[in-house]
Amino acid sequence: MSVLHLILRYRVAIILGLTLAVSAVIVPGYLSTTTLSLGLDRASSIGLIAIGLTVLLIAGQIDLSSGAVFALSGIISVILQPSIGIGPAAIAGVLTGMACGAINGLLVVGLRVNALVLTLATMLIFRALAHWITDSQPVSGTDIMVSLAFSQIYLEVFTVRSALFVLLIVLLHLWLTRTIPGRNVFAVGSNRVAADESGIVSGRIIFFGFVFAGALAGIAGVLQSLITNTGSPVFGSELTVAVIAAVVVGGTRLEGGRGSALGSLGGVMTIGALTVAMEFQSVPAYVQQVVSGLILILLVVFDRTVTTRRPSAGHRAKITHSL
Amino acid sequence: MNDVTEKLARFRQPERFTRASRGANIGSKTGLLFAILAVTLYGSFASPVFFSTGNFLNVLTSMSIVGIVVVGMTFVLVAGGLADLSVPATIACGAILSLGLQPEIGPIPAFAAAIALASCIGLLNGVLVGFAGVNPIIATLGVGTIALGVVQAAVGGVIVYGTNPASAEFVKGRLFDIPVIVLLFVVIAIVGHFVLSRTFWGRWTLATGGNYRAAQASAVPVRAVKAGAFVISGLVAGISGGLLGLTLQSARPLVGSGYEFNAITAVVVGGVSIMGGFGSIPRAIAGLVFVQLLTNVMVLQGVRTPVQGLALGLMIVCAVGLDSALRKRGGA
Repeated sequence: MSVLHLILRYRVAIILGLTLAVSAVIVPGYLSTTTLSLGLDRASSIGLIAIGLTVLLIAGQIDLSSGAVFALSGIISVILQPSIGIGPAAIAGVLTGMACGAINGLLVVGLRVNALVLTLATMLIFRALAHWITDSQPVSGTDIMVSLAFSQIYLEVFTVRSALFVLLIVLLHLWLTRTIPGRNVFAVGSNRVAADESGIVSGRIIFFGFVFAGALAGIAGVLQSLITNTGSPVFGSELTVAVIAAVVVGGTRLEGGRGSALGSLGGVMTIGALTVAMEFQSVPAYVQQVVSGLILILLVVFDRTVTTRRPSAGHRAKITHSL
Repeated sequence: MNDVTEKLARFRQPERFTRASRGANIGSKTGLLFAILAVTLYGSFASPVFFSTGNFLNVLTSMSIVGIVVVGMTFVLVAGGLADLSVPATIACGAILSLGLQPEIGPIPAFAAAIALASCIGLLNGVLVGFAGVNPIIATLGVGTIALGVVQAAVGGVIVYGTNPASAEFVKGRLFDIPVIVLLFVVIAIVGHFVLSRTFWGRWTLATGGNYRAAQASAVPVRAVKAGAFVISGLVAGISGGLLGLTLQSARPLVGSGYEFNAITAVVVGGVSIMGGFGSIPRAIAGLVFVQLLTNVMVLQGVRTPVQGLALGLMIVCAVGLDSALRKRGGA
């Protein structure tokens, strides 16, 4: 195994380590539990969505609508609070996310359309729905005390949502590596025709992948709305690039068939560490965007140049072969 | 599905329709014209303002800014590049530079510099997609994020205002009673159509999008062709952004958001295949006219903006679904 491959294999750890080292040098007092707690909490919205996207990417699909689903679910969970109470409203929000995912899944599997293009269109639709419901105005919840409860820090590190994120990603890791359905996801992503021939119903796996991704985006959106006590139609519009960057940093391939939950955890933590470091140094938001864009592009190019021996540049990625 | 002879046959004649499905062919060519006619008829009955010169001039002008982007987007789709999502960033670059550089180097060099930078963004996209083989959506999304961030950092995240009223007057003015922007759009569309349908580059673009490997085997410089499509898209988006900036006389970093979806909707509704290898500029522009007239009727009828977004999204889904259905029937 060449050095390059070793670097590629453990790149999550290397990138995370480098990020932490550089941040620790630049930002005084960076390495502390407070930073860890803050970083995890800031990254857990990205992280929860990244969990869903990891499964989808492994199955060779993608979901660009998650930012819009994030906003829509949050709005539903806030707007229903006066009529049915906070708990049921939150559940309704998550169900909204699942419904959005089911729509994506049905259309991608049923119409046999490229997931990239289709989720681009449904992103537009879900975002429009969010604006429609709220009249393009932020809506606020009934009980501000809920957000305090969610901001509580337990065991000196975890908030409710960062604990949920870490728990879910460990569960996902076990599911992907130890169970048969988990293995089938990899099979569908690496060669759909072969998977079908071996008796895996790939359409069903892809459909449930989208439902899962929608549910996770819904959970992230509902939590965000509960914590800020607001639902806003513009929430989550900048999340898409960050989430894809986090998952790709974690070593999941855009073409499907390869990836890991623990890698995504590393990727999300890298993005979180970067965000916190830049916030400490009061770097403007647009510079943070440049950084996450750069990471994404550099890693994808690095991935392409190291892993593909064949002169396959420019070939349609497997993602586009939905026929 | 992978019948070689069939693919080769499609090459000589870039049509997806076989003799057997000539009905579908005629339907797809005239269907959109009927749809445009229907919208126009409905509009003129439903609203007294619709069938007036003022309204049509408004529609034409707003159509032209998107239309210039549509020409580039058609190249990207036909070459099999899926879509160019960096358009909002490119438009913002064009608008901000063409206004921000005016005091230093004058309006025309500023406009030229804006277009040059926009083309560079397109080139970066093209190199990533064509030569490095990165997924186009990811590449253009990433490059767009970076470019927008850099432009915002360069102007400090504020709004840039124009300082040269003469250039604004020219862009907003009329030549032979037609708005200058509309004329520019028509010129760009005609040049684009000529390149795509009458030159070797256009044939290569269709070939690359239709069957990448076959085109490669026929010594078509597939990587350069794919990269070129993104350069064209960046170039025209830069022109569009510059014109937008000069018209508004102010440019904020988010000035271009939404243009990518409007352009993609128009191109896809026009029947250009999202999988590449099929499409033409007139088709895309027919799609654009239909979408713009429909939006105009919705605005005149007082339909709210979110509902319009919903309608656009649904239209993309339907058009893409229809495309994949036709693809199966056409045997491609």
